[in-house]
Amino acid sequence: MAILTEDDLYRTSTQYRLWSFTRESLSSLRCTTNESAADGVRAALYGQKATEQSSKQDSNVSPTPEVDYLSVDEEQKLVGYYCIQTMKFADFCDFPTNVKATAVQYLKRFYLSNSPMTYHPKEMMPSALFLATKTENHYTSLESFVSMLPKATAEDVVAPEFLLTQGLRFTFDVRHPHRGLEGGFMDLLALATGKGQSNPKTGASPAQLQQHMIDLEPVTDRGKKMSRSAEEVVRRIQNAHSKAKELLKTSALLTDAYFLYTPSQIWLSSLFFADEPLARFYIDSKFPTQSPLKSTLLTALQTCATLLRSSASADPEDSEVKELKRIDKKLYKCRNPEKIDLVGINKAQKREGHEDGLDEKVIKKRKMEREKLEKEAEDIFGPALGVKDGK
Amino acid sequence: MAVSPVVTHEATSNVKVTAAKAKSLAVRTNSFPHKTEAPPEKKQGGQELAERLNHETKEKYVKDKKLGEGTYAIVYLGHLKADPLSKVAIKKIKVNTEYRDGLSMDAIREVKYLQELSHPNIIALHAVFSSKNQNLNLVLEFLPLGDLEMLIKDSEGIRYGTAEVKAWMGMLGRAVWFCHENFVLHRDIKPNNLFIAADGEVKLADFGLARSFSDPYRPMTYQVITRWYRPPELLYGARFYSGAVDVWSMGTVFAELILRVPFLAGNTDIHQLELICQAVGTPTEEIWPGVSKLEGYVGYEKASIVPVRGKDFYLARFGTAGPVGVDLLMSMLALDPRKRSTARQMLEHRWWTSDPRPTAKVDLPRKGGGLEKMGDDLKRRGGEVEDGRGNKVARKLNFGATK
Ligand SMILES: Nc1ncnc2c1ncn2[C@@H]1O[C@H](COP(=O)(O)OP(=O)(O)O)[C@@H](O)[C@H]1O
Repeated sequence: MAILTEDDLYRTSTQYRLWSFTRESLSSLRCTTNESAADGVRAALYGQKATEQSSKQDSNVSPTPEVDYLSVDEEQKLVGYYCIQTMKFADFCDFPTNVKATAVQYLKRFYLSNSPMTYHPKEMMPSALFLATKTENHYTSLESFVSMLPKATAEDVVAPEFLLTQGLRFTFDVRHPHRGLEGGFMDLLALATGKGQSNPKTGASPAQLQQHMIDLEPVTDRGKKMSRSAEEVVRRIQNAHSKAKELLKTSALLTDAYFLYTPSQIWLSSLFFADEPLARFYIDSKFPTQSPLKSTLLTALQTCATLLRSSASADPEDSEVKELKRIDKKLYKCRNPEKIDLVGINKAQKREGHEDGLDEKVIKKRKMEREKLEKEAEDIFGPALGVKDGK
Repeated sequence: MAVSPVVTHEATSNVKVTAAKAKSLAVRTNSFPHKTEAPPEKKQGGQELAERLNHETKEKYVKDKKLGEGTYAIVYLGHLKADPLSKVAIKKIKVNTEYRDGLSMDAIREVKYLQELSHPNIIALHAVFSSKNQNLNLVLEFLPLGDLEMLIKDSEGIRYGTAEVKAWMGMLGRAVWFCHENFVLHRDIKPNNLFIAADGEVKLADFGLARSFSDPYRPMTYQVITRWYRPPELLYGARFYSGAVDVWSMGTVFAELILRVPFLAGNTDIHQLELICQAVGTPTEEIWPGVSKLEGYVGYEKASIVPVRGKDFYLARFGTAGPVGVDLLMSMLALDPRKRSTARQMLEHRWWTSDPRPTAKVDLPRKGGGLEKMGDDLKRRGGEVEDGRGNKVARKLNFGATK
């Protein structure tokens, strides 16, 4: 039977089972979500038009004009913007990194199967952050959480929670690359100070490995060999570490990295991005011999590092802000009118739910009361319009 | 997937990148649920993908009769619509009742950890869905043979010996080892959270107090674990602790299995500490460096200090476990959590390989007659009489303190 390694464990995680994709499957999923959301909006708008028409009894109303829906790309930009807002708000609340990182992933996961046309990210954001405080064991009472929000009520935070958890498919665990990076950092420091373990394959001693690190090509001046001291190597590792760490706190969260790569791949890529020679040295120390696996890994790290580099900056430029405003304006016209009032929807669902549990008698009584009321209404206002028209 | 560290005697490596890892780093699965579940009929009145998936899950199961009611959930017997002979337990969590802050922490923890942990000795979570009243439903494996507490208490009807204790403790140990390997602390191990499956397998359940412990610098609440099973460091208010808390609980369960009454049944936290001092020894700086710095540590007068109990003392009470078994028990009840054995060390102990061999799970004694025959008194849980479900109230009030 296999030994239990960290990656065997990763394979059993929901992040791997439910939230890992290829680029193709990810984009096809987003297309499907976008299309079905547009269908939903169309249906809802058509329904609205139909009732308006029948009530106005206007005979020559033009057919529903075709609405300009958000594209997948526009949806992505909007969600991305609110992910950044979530991070800023989490910082404002002084929440730890894992709460912030989890909240952002919740939003990203939610919008894989939901569109901003149906649920505006502005409204999901507080709920995602609040849920993350709970799932990451940083529980803050709803009251104090709401007090930190500029303009939202407790209901605004809790009402979308149900939708959110459904969109998350009731999986709350998010595996972050941060811990892995810390482990790798410790490993590297040990190697740099001659305290590493000798390499089982190549037989290189800790001292040889240390010298090897000193001889590594520098980050910037490619190819130029510089001999440095062990202290300088330690400083180099620290620099790479803080650069990589910063990357894990920003672009690793904002890009699709979590959907496409494992936590180990992500932190190794961030190291790759921060100091490629150092990352290569580290990988060589773990896999001394060439193998197809190793080259596949290196390719994955390179594509992931490229992805991390591509991330939008945390502070959007003027042109980006302009674009976001345009999208939001567009969204105003193609939002699903039935899904705007989340608090109302939430209340209605709870009411419905309560009826589930009522016994027959009460339901019967209510039905009779309702029928009575309807009858009375008919008496006062005459028969409902639909009835007359239907003849 | 390994279910125990002892199956192979190779040490699990802590190296961050191993050969096995390289393999999974390079090979990605192609079975992505979303892709294959592309909607055949797109138009459903704006029903979102997530909503539809939830609906599909919900439609897979049928609820039958009510099995029982807990503090925050009602449990039903159910089955797969497609397979009327299948049996599942559907735990419906009352989400919207008294708790205003949305999903409760108990529910979140239970769902979060059970979704991740799949192991033969941990209750399996098959699915989760919400009904339209927004109640969360957990589809769990059906465990019809009650819990370990019922077996322990039924001293008239059920006889067992060391071989059976060894089998049960082994299954418990593997469950806890697996949790810790996944950086999860259970924090409520006790006999009535150890359910028995139809085939006799022990299943660790109730993850309502579980949490991850990946960040060693983050303080945690000490108001966890039902008092009788709570280790001294928590009784002294330690905010930084480890898997050792669960190991202590396992030690007290081990003792209870042998004695057939709760080993340390304190009425109050103070009383609990007194019982620990009497039965195990008084925690002092000599045997537990640093203990006096814990917030709730109470100094002890020289005269009242009970020296750490020696092997003979244990043999007198737990002789049936044999000297090797007693050795294991003592290692699990070390007062200093750093000296206590880990779940892994516990499973590597030579007790498991010494005679008698653990009873095969199919031969383990079990409650006869299943659910119907159980009297209400047997269904009642230990420690419940005086303070409800452990310190349920305390734990709710203390969430704010976990920061
Ligand atoms: N998986 C299961 N299989 C069979 N019965 C179960 C299962 N889970 C719970 N039950 C029954 O439902 C009752 C309530 O369960 P639970 O809500 O977990 O209780 P508590 O809140 O007291 O821990 C239990 O006492 C038990 O009889």
